[in-house]
Amino acid sequence: MATGDSTAATSGGADYVPRKTSTRLIAIIAALLVVTNVITAVGVYYGTVPAKTAETITVIGPWTGSEYAKFLPVLDAFTNATGIRVSYSSARQEDLQLILPVQFAAHRAPGDVVFMVSSFIKTQGPSGTVLDLTNVVDKSAYAGGALDPVTGTNGKIYGAAYTGKVKPGFWYRQSFFTAHSLTPPTTWAQFQTLLSAIKSIPGIVNPIVSGDGVGWPLSDVVEHFIATFGGASMHRNLTAGTQKWNSTAVHDLFANRIVPLLAAGDFSQPLTWDSTAINGWWNNQYALYFMGSWITGMNPPVTDPNDVGVFSLPAQSGITPGIVFGPDFMFIPAYSTKIDAAKQLLRFLASKDGQTVQVKQGGHLATVLGVPASAYPAIDAKVAQTLVGKDVLPDLDDTKGTTFQNNFWSQLKGLWTSPNPAADLNSILDAIQSKA
Amino acid sequence: MKRRWPKIRLRTIVIHLIAWAVALVWIIPFLGVFSTATRPASEVTFGWWQVNPYHPTLDNFIRALTQPTYSVSKGYLNSLIIAVPGTLVPLFVAALAGYGFSRFSFPMRDYIFLAIVLIMSVPSQMIAIPIFQIMVNLQLVDNQLSLILLHTAWGLPWIILFMRNFFSALPLEVEEAARVDGASDLRIFFRIVLPMAIPAFASAGILQFMWVWNDFFFALILIFNPDKMPATLMVPHLASGQYTTDWGVLTAGSILVLLIPLALYVLLQKYYIRGMIGWTIKG
Amino acid sequence: MGETGAVQRRGLRTFTLFGRRRGGFRLGGHFGPRVRKATFRSVFFAPALLLLLFLVVYPILQTVYLSFMSATGAPTLGNYGAVLSDPETINPNLSWPPPLGTLIHNALWVTIHLPISLLFGLWMALILREVKGSSIVKSAIFLGMVTPMIVGGVILRFLFETGPGIVPSFFDAIGVRSLAVSWLNYRETALLGLIFGSVWLWTGFSLIVYSAGLTTIPQDYFEAAKIDGTPPFRMFFRITLPLLRPMTLVIITMTLLWELKIFDIVYAAAGPTGGTRGSVDVLSLQMFNYFVQGNYNLAAAVATLLTLLTLVATVFLFRRMVRP
Repeated sequence: MATGDSTAATSGGADYVPRKTSTRLIAIIAALLVVTNVITAVGVYYGTVPAKTAETITVIGPWTGSEYAKFLPVLDAFTNATGIRVSYSSARQEDLQLILPVQFAAHRAPGDVVFMVSSFIKTQGPSGTVLDLTNVVDKSAYAGGALDPVTGTNGKIYGAAYTGKVKPGFWYRQSFFTAHSLTPPTTWAQFQTLLSAIKSIPGIVNPIVSGDGVGWPLSDVVEHFIATFGGASMHRNLTAGTQKWNSTAVHDLFANRIVPLLAAGDFSQPLTWDSTAINGWWNNQYALYFMGSWITGMNPPVTDPNDVGVFSLPAQSGITPGIVFGPDFMFIPAYSTKIDAAKQLLRFLASKDGQTVQVKQGGHLATVLGVPASAYPAIDAKVAQTLVGKDVLPDLDDTKGTTFQNNFWSQLKGLWTSPNPAADLNSILDAIQSKA
Repeated sequence: MKRRWPKIRLRTIVIHLIAWAVALVWIIPFLGVFSTATRPASEVTFGWWQVNPYHPTLDNFIRALTQPTYSVSKGYLNSLIIAVPGTLVPLFVAALAGYGFSRFSFPMRDYIFLAIVLIMSVPSQMIAIPIFQIMVNLQLVDNQLSLILLHTAWGLPWIILFMRNFFSALPLEVEEAARVDGASDLRIFFRIVLPMAIPAFASAGILQFMWVWNDFFFALILIFNPDKMPATLMVPHLASGQYTTDWGVLTAGSILVLLIPLALYVLLQKYYIRGMIGWTIKG
Repeated sequence: MGETGAVQRRGLRTFTLFGRRRGGFRLGGHFGPRVRKATFRSVFFAPALLLLLFLVVYPILQTVYLSFMSATGAPTLGNYGAVLSDPETINPNLSWPPPLGTLIHNALWVTIHLPISLLFGLWMALILREVKGSSIVKSAIFLGMVTPMIVGGVILRFLFETGPGIVPSFFDAIGVRSLAVSWLNYRETALLGLIFGSVWLWTGFSLIVYSAGLTTIPQDYFEAAKIDGTPPFRMFFRITLPLLRPMTLVIITMTLLWELKIFDIVYAAAGPTGGTRGSVDVLSLQMFNYFVQGNYNLAAAVATLLTLLTLVATVFLFRRMVRP
């Protein structure tokens, strides 16, 4: 540095930058500033362009891929009937948990009809961020109690129910079972025998594959255990909060039914539910996969839906089992700019006509009354069989809310990945209860 | 002589092996990402190193760019809209201030300067909540302008420090001569000093651009509309894209987002490095 | 300094806005040249100060204010009490494996990541002086620094996930079944996986800084030492290391700052909830979750605590850097 400076020092005024160069430089800088201002102006302009015309509304749903492809015909039917165009935007409900509160705080809405977990809709209702739909939705069109999860304590209805999916039990490939002479179990002892039989088959990593993702696959299978061995009543009490997670009854259920399977390696490590897990299951690295009824539509890899079968955990005498039926709930944000069109779409989706279109494609069950049995494809008959003799239950963690749900999922994953699940069980149940 | 020669050779060989082994290990994750991005997702479910079947394809990139809700091309546009003004404006503003701190003396100058530099150690989380509230009040949420303003202000402390150190190293004689000739401070600054500061602008500019482009946290709290999201914000959403947890689209999108900082680094490495260490060596 | 010389000269002449030396029309007639100079000179600082005051200084003060307020608007220290006694911040049961609390996780991050990346960067910088094609090696290692950290987090998730990831498959291949799992799902390995992953991402920084630093050491020192018969070991400790002190200081400070603020990587790799049973929860993620829940006061308290930590860590270096 020192040596370079002295030359500049001695030449003094001669280093004065000549006028032309400096003008050019100033021109360049000015041009750059102009260009960036233009870019910014363009950006700001597009940021303040008025929303699309009343002819198009936005619906936000969690479905992607093949599930989304099945939702499209429903939207098309709506457009044909009303002329209102609908644009679909996908957002996972886990993401919406973060996005919606902040958007509402900024008085904005990302869509006009939004699908979201019932607990969110119920809690947001009284604060006015969610439209009161008491006069929009016809309660009597639904089976009894269908709208309870989105009805506030003040009696106002804040959401509507679309179709739903059942989480009937463990899915298996018929071809795999036939090839190894396996049959669905009807008692707990048979279930355990089945698991050990599967374990001895070459190529099997674990009998049951555990889904991973944000966490709902694990909570689904745990709910099934609770609804079967604790009964529908225990499931309801846990949902309502009248039963504690660290109570003896619940603790014993975990300790006697779930933990032994985990310790024996009957469950796999959590694997990405819609790629590694389902592919491994279809490739016979795992025999059983607890999933919802939408699995029949997941192609790839389920290329032949007739090859799949499902069985529920064997009911115990004296305990009325339950089965989780999870309707998709929708609401209209109060900050939507197209409330009337949104109401029309909501009514359509909550109607017999709308839900029939969806149900015809398989994997969904209608929540509204009056959809004929003939509308359902054959696969769903198997699913319907699993419902016989069981109480219908709402999804536990969806109903309880985000705080509970995030913690619940996290703790269950901890149970699944623990090197000693029996030892960790108490602290995990305590932790679950702390946010219940 | 004879005995020394083989010893040195062994050492050199070992050192070369170590260096190249480290480079290889370091690059393996990127190899994996590249491999996954250029093949159909089904091929890599069980590992990208499985080479049969191997069908190279640009399909993932196309899907990442044309994703209906979270398209990387929209992200690019938004990132540019935010990063270009978010670099040029603070450069200019900080050059003015840095020059002032360097050449002018006034009471409390060093204390004010120290205070500005101390801001550099404050984490972004510290201003998150009030900034969110300010932007809500200005109705600039979901608007790129909010990020431009924020990044401009946030980049000022370090660029001021950088510029001030740079100007302090410039010889005074040229400016002195101009003052003798009767030029005002502003004129000296624009006519003489700015042209001399171009290398500093290049270094600081690259670093600031990369910082703004790579930002995630500020964008996370200010932008929610997928149409306005910068590219970095789109990345987590690509995981649940058009199809299932699609590693192909996710990695392809990641590569696309990574491309601009990478290109800048490759093309302007000298300035980037100088920008990073320039003010550290000055001490 | 030259400044004083210019002031002396300036007293002799009259300046105008248009740079003419003689006579000329004076603006602000009443005020002496000194005041006019000051007003014009303030133009240099005005935009910067305005932006900083409104968008940085005010928010910082506002956050501190929020942290001392309760949700109802009453002044209170309760937020800090709540945060510090929350098991999420410091787990009372401080036994491995995680979660040990966000504060401990950040501390662990510092204790493990900082020495490793510092020493490894130094060692590579030393070695690469003698390697052909060192710039390629340096670029390969530096690639992580150029990556947006959110992409870095995605890469780490990809790296450690059973199925597509290479780490579980590697351990499966060599027979270590306990590590042949998705590291980020298991409490024992999640935090460590991310920490080692961050070493992979950030070692390039210390490498480049040390590399540049090494080039500034004049060779004469080493020549003189060699003539004196100093062994290379001693040369390193007596000459190289002390001369590299400014670089070391910078690396330590920047890395420390980065580790305390870490957010993007954790968010991308483990989601906004902080991993299995909170095993990778960090301070900034904790603050973000409070913010999303609308719990601004608690979020402000966490942010202020975080800032206190970073200030303490960096005040030493910045004093050195500010002296011209």
